[in-house]
Amino acid sequence: MKPAPTLLSVVNQVLANKRRPAIAALPPETRLREELGFDSLDMAELTVRLEEAFGVDIFAAGVVRTAGEVEARLPAAQP
Amino acid sequence: MRLMSKNILITGVSRGLGLAIARAVVAAGWTVYGVSRATSPEFAALAAAAPGRVKFCAFDLADADGVEKVVFGPEFAGLQVPLDGFVNNAATAYDDLVSNLNLARLQAMYALNVFAPMMATRQFVRNALLHGKGASIVHVSSISAHTGYKGLAMYASTKGALEAFSKNTAREWGARGIRSNCVVAGFMETAMSGALDEEQRQRIHARTALKAPASLESVAATVVFLLGEGAASITGQNLFVDSGTI
Repeated sequence: MKPAPTLLSVVNQVLANKRRPAIAALPPETRLREELGFDSLDMAELTVRLEEAFGVDIFAAGVVRTAGEVEARLPAAQP
Repeated sequence: MRLMSKNILITGVSRGLGLAIARAVVAAGWTVYGVSRATSPEFAALAAAAPGRVKFCAFDLADADGVEKVVFGPEFAGLQVPLDGFVNNAATAYDDLVSNLNLARLQAMYALNVFAPMMATRQFVRNALLHGKGASIVHVSSISAHTGYKGLAMYASTKGALEAFSKNTAREWGARGIRSNCVVAGFMETAMSGALDEEQRQRIHARTALKAPASLESVAATVVFLLGEGAASITGQNLFVDSGTI
């Protein structure tokens, strides 16, 4: 069975598409544009991948900048 | 064969040009995801002739707001279906003199001709981003956006809007392998031009080099070309299939 997707795994998928190395951890204060180098098209791809994985459009309620802000809009992980 | 297969979403498939495009897409060996208010005996026959390769969703695109939930919902062309092409064909023509312009009719036409395809493009681009293998958008435009005809100012303006939208979509998403083009169709013998009388038809055809209506098959073949690998380097273009309107 495929492991359940996490914000980290989805971010790494977007990084892989940019041919960039995966990251091991994603602290909540990580700024997606400045620190991960995501441009607007990458942010759009991240949005769609998160929507597919979690059923939530992270931009529907306004702009997000950090990993923590994204995480806050995703449904809480199952225990 | 599997690698060559494509999933193509087409609006307005029950009759006229949309039906001709659906036939050409099936003939190319691809799968049709067709949308129309209702099906037709001709579309049903196409579905029967190509089992599993012709899907249908009954939906009124005048409801631009429902495009996301219904057409791109999990029951039809949702994120689970990797889409390769989107053909924006469904349209309505409200024709009248500008001095008689009726706002309610104008808004209804914009909902179907402009807002619904723009919302569909939003969802199509999202689908293409998820599957990451490139995709092709083809809008059916009209020669009326380039050559004036009495009574068609409002209709032509919807096609002009689409052409601008297509050009900018091409620019915005080209880096992700998403192409967008318009087929600028001349007058065809379809229900849409059915209200024209013989004299009007002759006048329109006299303005073309070929002195004939544009053929549905020629327009449909051009759409299929733009969807396919042969058009891999073509984006942001308007291709005129109009019998050489002069």
